[in-house]
Amino acid sequence: MMRRKLSLAAAVVTATAISLTACSGGEAPAADLSTVSIMAPFLEAQPPSADGAVQKKLEELTGKDINITWTPNASYEDKTNITLASSEIPHIMVIQGKTPGFVKNAEAGAFWDLTDKLDDYPNLKTTFPDIQQNASINGKVYGVFRGRAPMRAAVMFRQDWLDKLGLEAPKTTEDLYKVAKAFTEQDPDGNGQDDTWGITIPKWGALGTNSPYDLIEEWYGAGNRWTEKDGKLIPSFETEEFLEANRFVKKMVDEKLINPDFATFDGTKWNEPFFNGKGGIIVDVDSRVSVLVNLFKQADPNNYENKVGFVGNLEGPDGELHAHPTDGYSGFLAVPKASVRTEAELAKVLEVLNTMNGKDVAILLNNGIEGVNFTLEDGKAATIKPETEESKAVSTDIKSYAQLGMNVAGNTFYPVKQPTEYEQQVFDKRTEVMAGDLKSAVYNPAAPYVSATYVSKGAQLDNIVADARIKYLAGQIDEQGLKDAITLWNTSGGDKVKEEINQLWQDNK
Amino acid sequence: MAAPVIDTQSGEQALNTPPAPRKRGSFAVHFAHYKWLYLLLVPGVVYFAVFRYAPMYGVSIAFKDYVPFLGVNGSPWVGTQHFQDFFSNPDFPRLLGNTLILAFLNLGIAFPLTIVLALLLNEVRLSILKRTVQTLVYIPHFLSWTIVASLSFLLFALDFGPLFLFLNNVMGTNIDFLSDPNWFRPLIVLQEIWKNTGWGTIIFLAALATVDQDQYEAAIIDGAGRFRRVWHITLPGIRSTIIVMLILAIGQMLNTGFEQIYLMTNALNRSVADVFDTYVYFVGITQGAYSYSTAVGLFKSLVGIVLIFGTNALAKRFNQSGLF
Repeated sequence: MMRRKLSLAAAVVTATAISLTACSGGEAPAADLSTVSIMAPFLEAQPPSADGAVQKKLEELTGKDINITWTPNASYEDKTNITLASSEIPHIMVIQGKTPGFVKNAEAGAFWDLTDKLDDYPNLKTTFPDIQQNASINGKVYGVFRGRAPMRAAVMFRQDWLDKLGLEAPKTTEDLYKVAKAFTEQDPDGNGQDDTWGITIPKWGALGTNSPYDLIEEWYGAGNRWTEKDGKLIPSFETEEFLEANRFVKKMVDEKLINPDFATFDGTKWNEPFFNGKGGIIVDVDSRVSVLVNLFKQADPNNYENKVGFVGNLEGPDGELHAHPTDGYSGFLAVPKASVRTEAELAKVLEVLNTMNGKDVAILLNNGIEGVNFTLEDGKAATIKPETEESKAVSTDIKSYAQLGMNVAGNTFYPVKQPTEYEQQVFDKRTEVMAGDLKSAVYNPAAPYVSATYVSKGAQLDNIVADARIKYLAGQIDEQGLKDAITLWNTSGGDKVKEEINQLWQDNK
Repeated sequence: MAAPVIDTQSGEQALNTPPAPRKRGSFAVHFAHYKWLYLLLVPGVVYFAVFRYAPMYGVSIAFKDYVPFLGVNGSPWVGTQHFQDFFSNPDFPRLLGNTLILAFLNLGIAFPLTIVLALLLNEVRLSILKRTVQTLVYIPHFLSWTIVASLSFLLFALDFGPLFLFLNNVMGTNIDFLSDPNWFRPLIVLQEIWKNTGWGTIIFLAALATVDQDQYEAAIIDGAGRFRRVWHITLPGIRSTIIVMLILAIGQMLNTGFEQIYLMTNALNRSVADVFDTYVYFVGITQGAYSYSTAVGLFKSLVGIVLIFGTNALAKRFNQSGLF
């Protein structure tokens, strides 16, 4: 009896406590929008300071108090999901891609549908409608995409090794094999020891993430994530070319032309074997070329030229160039409905985004402040030397503020003038090679489409094939095992994904 | 609910009054009598109600299709859909197997080692040596798993890690410990032993200090050697502590440690590395499937409760005092 009454008392206390906590959640105050809050990732060691020169200039140019919540990039995805579940939702959120969490929230109505709205704003009207389409969810645009150069794939190699062995820069995948073999077996560093290998690949297994494996598969003609065959879309790993490409990579692994710890090697140390003269080739984005050049320059400013050579995409065994482009965007800036309630408020927020996409803010976010950290020389932004405390702060801050840049009508800011003649040459050559490769780009035909099954199961499904690919390359399973994994992908829900993607593709043709 | 009983008894003595008559309708009388003692209980009850029980209403999303934008109350109910999906998932047997194997390895190897280390420390007669060793073995506990994982990656690095070279020379093999699925579990248990064995000895050392010294003297006179003394005096002396620690350890058994395993996982060893904790993170946080991962977490908690009650009952059956 006593026990029952006690538990009743406990229940009352509990109920009161629950209603108390429920109340404290409260309603967010209506937005007056003199302050615009933004959530954005930062990739530097420290977020920019809230009262720095860039911040002040941004507020001056937009005429608003801008309140940016900088969130570490490594946990950005988690934080996005958690923020959406909280009551503190910003007016503008940088969303890094069409992740399952974002798609579910968007389809439940968490974000404004901007499909018919963006064209009303001069700076938000894109000159790349295909990329905007890629960034949409089945044709619905939920944000202003952040434009990125679509062509970035490159093969970089130790130019000094290549010269020493008297080899040509690779043009085809077969050449890549020959160079890698020579780098491994012909003692390119001339120390008389068998201590070098060809290609360095880090722990990077996931499918469709522009990994070295993805690039080589595309060069072989497997397509970009999805490919059209007999009037239907199939995942690129169901093509014969996918298997051929992986046989090719496996051959290189077996002959020790690739670092043996490719399944576990830490990606943040990717440059080290290249720089230290262990592994002579990296297959990645072309911007790494300049990073590598800079590494050599810092080690020896008098002798760093002709250490790093590079080419763009490689021709496949069919003699054709299937260049690998990205989807052309890196996420988008979306407007949550929970914080921006009415059409009128939305118009104000879009106005701010419009200003942020204008030339003035684009220059601020990407180049910095003219006269403080850069000056104009022949239409290029040249960093002011020597750096002062003030200019350094601006240069550091813009590395984070660039995350807010959208550039939906191409880059309106100034190209950066490279510090030396040689680096300018490298930069210009990069631009030229990438522009050339773009003409042979093979795009992902399914990029705009989001299948419901893929949203709920995609990551697990893709893991089946991604892990099998690495296991096959490492020799844990044979080719039949890889094929079995692809069958398992289909039977675990992949065939449904295919069906849905094809349906969406047909409907939108 | 053991605490109020004790309070009542001590209250009776302190107030020096006859026990309250226990008959129907006597609660009001009983309550009036001990109202100050009940008042003492209030902060504890409120704490548990607000910080432990109220958040549990969030568990309801395990039975809903939760979308953050719609909120906990706005999301539609789906019944036990997520549980059905989970149990019929082809990953389920593998996850359960991996979790249980790791749990039993930790319990079967790391737990007894803690006792062994405590006994060894207890046998050290030189006080300064004993204290120094004690401090040294506590240190790894304060390093984060990230550092432990980094150390492992350095020590076992392919082709140049010192332990990689040493072990492969001794065994005459060429094993990449970091990616070989057969070596994943030994590596995890090894890390666990390295990091937490020393710290775990604290409670056993405290228990060892309470063992009656006279018994040792008597045993020495009777001609008992060191091992005899450990076996017949020390171990029985700390038996109840061991049982309590065991019950607690079993309750925590399925918490295989998210960070440690997440950091050591790669494409080649994932088949043995996936456990409930990493799966909940992978599906719930990175894929945004909150409801599904809450269901998985809830299942894990239920298994934990069953284990803890089961072990407690078992301990009582074997005439040991249980935890509660």
